Amino acid sequence: MPQTPPAAPHRELPADAYRDMTRILRIGLITALVILLGGIVAYLAENSSIGFRQMVAQNPIVHYLGLDALAQGLATGQPEAYLTLGVLVLVATPIARVVTGLYFFARNREREMALVATTVGILLFVGILVIGPFLR
Amino acid sequence: MELIWYLVILAVVAIAAGFVGSLTGIGGGIIIIPVLVIFFNVPLVVAIGASVITILANSATTGSAYLHDRLTDLRIGMFLEIATVPGAIIGAVLTVYLVHADLQDALLVALGIILILLAVAGLRRIRDDAYAVAVPDRRSRRLGFFGSYHDAQLNETIAYQAADTNRALGIMFAAGLVAGMFGIGSGVLKVTALDDALKLPIKVSTATSNFMIGVTACATTGVLLAAGYVNAVLAVPVAVGATAGALMGSYILPGVRSRTVRIAFTLVLVGLSIELIIRGLGGP
Repeated sequence: MPQTPPAAPHRELPADAYRDMTRILRIGLITALVILLGGIVAYLAENSSIGFRQMVAQNPIVHYLGLDALAQGLATGQPEAYLTLGVLVLVATPIARVVTGLYFFARNREREMALVATTVGILLFVGILVIGPFLR
Repeated sequence: MELIWYLVILAVVAIAAGFVGSLTGIGGGIIIIPVLVIFFNVPLVVAIGASVITILANSATTGSAYLHDRLTDLRIGMFLEIATVPGAIIGAVLTVYLVHADLQDALLVALGIILILLAVAGLRRIRDDAYAVAVPDRRSRRLGFFGSYHDAQLNETIAYQAADTNRALGIMFAAGLVAGMFGIGSGVLKVTALDDALKLPIKVSTATSNFMIGVTACATTGVLLAAGYVNAVLAVPVAVGATAGALMGSYILPGVRSRTVRIAFTLVLVGLSIELIIRGLGGP
């Protein structure tokens, strides 16, 4: 009968791991919502005559998905660029949480769990930065 | 009608969906896609894009609350994301492929069927916090998948350990795939993996599932955003409304799980899902 390995000594993650992840999720959400709400108010002010179907068909943020276009749009105060930034902050929030997890596992000297967090991070980057743009 | 009024109506509908979804425990986001498709004639993939933004906002709200209460098992949650993230990416890619291949109707039928199955599964799975004794597998012992939490209602510390990690990984991949394809949280499937396969207490399962839903939705959103299917003007009122509604539901009526409201919500969801299937099959 195969021997089961003894349970690893349980290293409780420190309280600041929970605290920092909670803060990251809250700060990320609030920041994203502020940018998005500001962006949508400005968008509606500039596009009062546009129809619902036209807005859905055009997708106002699609032109600002590249870094150059986004930077230029933000610099010139384009509402669509700020809407794009808000969505990006919302998407980046869970990624920041994964990176925070990696930091605490590494600090706690949990090599396997640090490897798990690194793998999740790499999968997210591949999905978002490689596979997504390939589908456009 | 002017654009602003469409967005106001959308926000009000999203508040109601988030409120009732929170009250019933099923989640309001699940009803957003059929509402956008049926009543606002939004293309399915754009509705999915709006839904994942809503899920991201919702999971940051509820996920941070559970983290603050230390009900979430960070170790188990992050480990299982190894399965949900690739599932979500493959699911989102499949959806974009089906849209590009002009097979949205097949996607509508599949979504209708999935929503009915999830609604019925959501009705079935309420049980108390008594859970089966878990026999941890080799990986669970090696990675230290055990812990404890303080149950405020029972006023005692509940200890737990995780059982079948291979089965949990399989279910989580399926949950990620469904979440990625249809832009839903798949909380029912995730809780099933944590609850049935790992034998975790239901409170830890629910908290850890919420923690994971954000990263799964992040993978889906990233793919759909880069592919050009996330419309922020449409998504903002839906996300803000659904999140506000969910917060209202959790603050105003804490602990209420009305069976009547739950059944009514499920019936509405099943009705909308049948309409999606009829549309997908070319009906009126």
